[in-house]
Amino acid sequence: MKEIIRTESLAKYFGKMAAVHEVTLTLQEGLFTSVIGPNGAGKTTLINLLSGYLLPDRGKILFQGNEITRLGPDRRVRMGISRSFQVMNIFPRMTVFQNILLPVLSRLNKTSSAFSSLLSQKEAVGEAEKILGEVWLKDEKDFPAGELSHGDQRLLELGIAVASNPRLCFLDEPSSGMNPIERIKVLELVKKLAAERKTTFIIVEHDMDIVFSLSDWIVVMNRGEVLAEGRPAEIRANREVREIYLGEEI
Amino acid sequence: MKTRLAILFLIIFLAVLPAFAGKYLLYVTIHILLLSIFSLGFNLLFGYTGLLSFGQAGFYAVGAYGCAKILLVYPSLLVGILGGVALAGVASLVLGVLCIRHTRIYFSMLTLSFGMMIFSLAWKWRDMTGGDDGLVGIPRAPLEVPGVFKINMAAMESYYYVVLGLSLLAIYLFQRIIRSPLGLTLQGIRDSETRAACVGVSVRKYRLLSFTIAGLYAGLAGALLPPLESTVTPPVAHWSHSAEPVLATLLGGIYTFAGPIVGSVLFYLLKDIIVRFTEYWLICLGVIVVVLVMGFRGGVVSIFLKEGSRR
Repeated sequence: MKEIIRTESLAKYFGKMAAVHEVTLTLQEGLFTSVIGPNGAGKTTLINLLSGYLLPDRGKILFQGNEITRLGPDRRVRMGISRSFQVMNIFPRMTVFQNILLPVLSRLNKTSSAFSSLLSQKEAVGEAEKILGEVWLKDEKDFPAGELSHGDQRLLELGIAVASNPRLCFLDEPSSGMNPIERIKVLELVKKLAAERKTTFIIVEHDMDIVFSLSDWIVVMNRGEVLAEGRPAEIRANREVREIYLGEEI
Repeated sequence: MKTRLAILFLIIFLAVLPAFAGKYLLYVTIHILLLSIFSLGFNLLFGYTGLLSFGQAGFYAVGAYGCAKILLVYPSLLVGILGGVALAGVASLVLGVLCIRHTRIYFSMLTLSFGMMIFSLAWKWRDMTGGDDGLVGIPRAPLEVPGVFKINMAAMESYYYVVLGLSLLAIYLFQRIIRSPLGLTLQGIRDSETRAACVGVSVRKYRLLSFTIAGLYAGLAGALLPPLESTVTPPVAHWSHSAEPVLATLLGGIYTFAGPIVGSVLFYLLKDIIVRFTEYWLICLGVIVVVLVMGFRGGVVSIFLKEGSRR
């Protein structure tokens, strides 16, 4: 097993509140990892720090051994780290196809090409169409993305996140706002993409059934700190974890 | 196909216009073409990148004064225009670095301030700009490439063709840009800056690029003015002049390619007509813009487009 991303005493404060406090964590390549914890545990802040959306106040982040602590999100995407957002974040005025095409063009370093037409970018167009198929949005290709249903928009976000061909991809509640059946479908899709694309996914998820059935590794956060990490069975047996979930059956 | 035919007819119409139009109509058409170039560049920033600039007249003025100064020293139309455009490009690149660090209202206020700084320069730097008298006696120099050709520009018709040619070129290039990967990238930044950054787009770099292209377009429109009017005065840099592409674009439609052009035609004609009746033409125009913005958010052009084919 190889380490993919590591943090050393990572900390982020909002005023006096420690959103993420002294987090030292190593995540392994190829392990489908879930980050769980009660509301306000610092899960989203951790992902924001790891993806470059926020810069930490203290500590270090290393991606495949290289320090990336102060790099912006666009630089990190180029190194192979992408993400989706908890609150819907797509390009609403562009078509579904264009939503996927942009990250592909960006990866192929074609975004500053000013005078060629979009369709003349054969390689990018081909890849974007393939990805559309992978996230089940082929028929919606020419729709304005903002007019898709909520569920399809979440699929599109997933498509945008994988379109930059990341080694490591963070998904912040990829199934939020979906019904239980859709949730399972989406998370199984994520697992499938992980296997096919050799991408390591780190997800934040609230549905404990799904988390425990699909994850290879679970990180539990509470009040900005990592409370526990381990295989699903280990986490299920952990007394502290059970306590923060107030005795909920997990 | 229909659109192509319509465009072809429009170009032919513009090409044969001098055969039957009088001087005044040519003069008006030139002004409409200048406003179109000015508005197109502005809309690359506004409609396509999501940045509302209130300072574009500053770059228009740099182009105009730059071209005028060159023509006064070295009477060659080509050198004057290219020089004016280049100066506007440099100015927008330098000020762009400062402006694009912010977005929304902060960006708008910054551009407004820098625009007014350029206005103050034009107003106060007498030795360079002639102050409130402006620069006068600018020759409509011949279009020449030494040793290759030399075309006299004394007749309004000749100059009209230069402006028409450059406008069509600018419009064509603009159309290429917005349909290119660069155009898509700018639209991505407009739709969601954070999402764009998180797919690997360097948001600041592309904002600066958009700002500079808009500056070049403003500079081109500005550089074409002094040979027409033979004077340049500080009002070309004033914020109320920056409002012209804003209004023209809102009239025509911000998310459409042709919006700013259609808007420019309407804006100029409305202004020309209303001015005959009242000096408070801006109030009347304001009412029209308000009605359009409230009733047809996509501008005049969107009325003719089907909902689904909007771009």
